[in-house]
Amino acid sequence: MKPKKSKRALAIKTLVFGALSGTLYYLLFSNVDWVTTTYTMGGWHTVYPVGTALLFSFVHGAFASNFLALLGIEPKGGH
Amino acid sequence: MKRLLMAMVIVLVCCLTATVVLAGGGGPPKNLIKGFFLKINPDHTAIFKKDVTGEEISLKLSEDIKPEDIPMNRKVLVTLKTEGHEITNEVKRISIMFIDLPVSKVIALLVVGLIGGLLSGFIGSGGAFVLTPSMMSLGVPGAVAVASNMCHKFPKAMVGAYKRWKYGQADVKLGLFMAASAIVGVQIGIQIQKYILDHWGNAGSNLYVSLMFVIILVVVGTYVFYDAFKLKKGGKEAEVTKLALALQKINLPPMIHFKQAGITISIWFTIPVGVATGMLAATIAVGGFIGVPGLIYVIGASAVVASATELVIAFVMGMWGSIQWGLSGLIDIRLTLLILAASLIGVQLGALGTTYVKDYMIKIVMGAVMLIVSVSRGAKIPAYLADLGLRPPLTPQTAALYDAISFWALVAALGAAGIIISAAMIRGMLQARAEGL
Repeated sequence: MKPKKSKRALAIKTLVFGALSGTLYYLLFSNVDWVTTTYTMGGWHTVYPVGTALLFSFVHGAFASNFLALLGIEPKGGH
Repeated sequence: MKRLLMAMVIVLVCCLTATVVLAGGGGPPKNLIKGFFLKINPDHTAIFKKDVTGEEISLKLSEDIKPEDIPMNRKVLVTLKTEGHEITNEVKRISIMFIDLPVSKVIALLVVGLIGGLLSGFIGSGGAFVLTPSMMSLGVPGAVAVASNMCHKFPKAMVGAYKRWKYGQADVKLGLFMAASAIVGVQIGIQIQKYILDHWGNAGSNLYVSLMFVIILVVVGTYVFYDAFKLKKGGKEAEVTKLALALQKINLPPMIHFKQAGITISIWFTIPVGVATGMLAATIAVGGFIGVPGLIYVIGASAVVASATELVIAFVMGMWGSIQWGLSGLIDIRLTLLILAASLIGVQLGALGTTYVKDYMIKIVMGAVMLIVSVSRGAKIPAYLADLGLRPPLTPQTAALYDAISFWALVAALGAAGIIISAAMIRGMLQARAEGL
């Protein structure tokens, strides 16, 4: 079994990814008019929503993963 | 050799994706236009400025649209009436493209996202079938709801697939093979839909979709449920079906070995399952309801591997779909990201939940969800039969009752799944803790 990550390291990671994710959400929703206009222009602009969804999934997904681990919710056997 | 084969599959997926995207199959209906109303004329016509191109066109308003109800300073989605293949310039429906998002709607999206994610991480699919109608009930236009949901589906599936790959459950190679054939299946599904639409119109198409939905979900759902109960009662581990064992013995080159799933089977048997998954995805938007049982009972994968592998398929298909809807500019990224905020937590919870439960638990959840969802779709059939003139028209009260049954059955499906998964997970965790694992 792999050694479990220390709580401190997990907390730091959760905080960093949480702050990053929060910033991204803030940036998006504070520029919502520009975003909704640009993202729905069609054609090659499809890279905006698809790219944004991918970026958010990496950052917010990492936050969620660390957050769950910090809460002690981990898979059986601690993968 | 293995890497070469893998690369070939990836190239095949990319080529097919590009072909389908360029061919413009699937995606939104052609009678939708986006833009702003500039002026309403007294003769029941309006000047409309199209989005992106800025072209100004004159539109005729249908009689049931009141000029004072038309939003003048907001981006709208206009559905035009069609006559056969021809799109007229008569407005059938006007929807506000970006709905207002008060706190109550944000909370609703987060809750549905969380449980949808949980379900997706656990059984490999789901969430989509309830998210689109939920968004529509919040006032989101249908096409925007489908597009925004699709765009949330693929990153969620990606995170879920990654987690379950880490747990040693997802067979990426099998997922890519299935996805490649599923994309072909989607094209076939779209052609069938077009044929039905041409011959029997919108009501015929709706009836076909609902009937397929109910028949497939009841038949497959009942079997999955029966199998799960048999396993639970017998207390045995799941066995590979006789059909899958027989197919695995047939040496029809090329034979492919799928390491994670522990299966060697001819590609000629994986293709039909993949094509059927794609066809169902094109018809009822939830391919996983045939993909996961197909992987279990025809290919011979365990429920854990099948549901994990389905996430790989969902990622490829969702990415392809999102690009298509994005090309038409119909994704409301605000909705996508709000659902994603909760569903990325849900999908990881669901994924790790599978490490605590026995194989049959996944089948129980899947069977239960399929059967409850079939009630939801079945409740729509009387209205479609009335549209086709096959039964007397429904009174407004009866129509409202059927709509309510349809919506609340979806909520019940999601709620039931959420409760079963959480309870099984908590029990598994407590047991593991007691055993000192």
